[in-house]
Amino acid sequence: MNLGYGLITGIFFGIFLQKAQVLRYDKQVGAMRFLDMTIFKFMLSSIIVSAIGIYLLKDLGLIKLSVKGTSIGAQLLGGSLFGIGWGLLGYCPGTAVGAVGEGRIDALWGILGMLCGAALYAEAYPFMKAKIISLGNYGKLTLPQILDVSHWLVIVVFALIVLAMFYLFEKKKV
Amino acid sequence: MLKKTWNPYLAGALAGILMIFSVWANGKFFGTSTTFVRVAAVIEESIGIDTSKNVHFTEKKGKYGAQALPDWQLMFVFGVLLGAFISARSSGDFKLQAVPDMWQQRFGNNPAKRGVVAFFGGGVALFGARLAGG
Repeated sequence: MNLGYGLITGIFFGIFLQKAQVLRYDKQVGAMRFLDMTIFKFMLSSIIVSAIGIYLLKDLGLIKLSVKGTSIGAQLLGGSLFGIGWGLLGYCPGTAVGAVGEGRIDALWGILGMLCGAALYAEAYPFMKAKIISLGNYGKLTLPQILDVSHWLVIVVFALIVLAMFYLFEKKKV
Repeated sequence: MLKKTWNPYLAGALAGILMIFSVWANGKFFGTSTTFVRVAAVIEESIGIDTSKNVHFTEKKGKYGAQALPDWQLMFVFGVLLGAFISARSSGDFKLQAVPDMWQQRFGNNPAKRGVVAFFGGGVALFGARLAGG
């Protein structure tokens, strides 16, 4: 049952990604070079819509959120490494899989590399846990918690910032 | 549906709605990188490497180990591959290509050069993603 839902959800997501052209190296590296903001348009629209829907479900008591822990060390180093790797590969893990579906053979090499990176991380994990993940570890934190405001205020302000960005993208035709 | 491209704002909003349903119906947010860890464990086991002593593969009731498969996220990853293929094929957008256009303009069309950088980049990206909790 769960497996079937996973497959169907993935198929729809793959179609949306392909139709928006966000599976392409040229679009992803184009965004990093501030030449083409297609992936930001896709990603930020998706985040706004799902943030509203998911917090609505939470307020109605229909779902529980599972917030990831905040570790400054892990997210600073991990995020930087991810950025370097993403820039070199030109696909993130999910879009690499989708890009193969579109016929992009270079993404296959990226996937092989990712499997090696995953195996390497499993080996490095005890060290990372002791030395990196422990740096600035604040546990489960959310922005509304830190600011002590309603999550809807954070969502509205975030949505306004994103809309301003969209306006800028369209004005600059990127 | 058969149009080659959709407006990225619309496609993104649809993906957002899809995620709301997914969280509601299955409690599942979208992700892929954990699947790479689990598949790496399966590959290690298949070539005779014992993963039962590895802390990462065994902690949290083996959540990141080979025995966690098959699961929702593995099927989601297969789905993305399949969905992208169906979408590209049905609109004539499928193209076998070893070196992306933008790469060619800057670094030439040597597929081996592109392959090596893609492989290395993939390794660094996934290591970083796992460290950051993605």
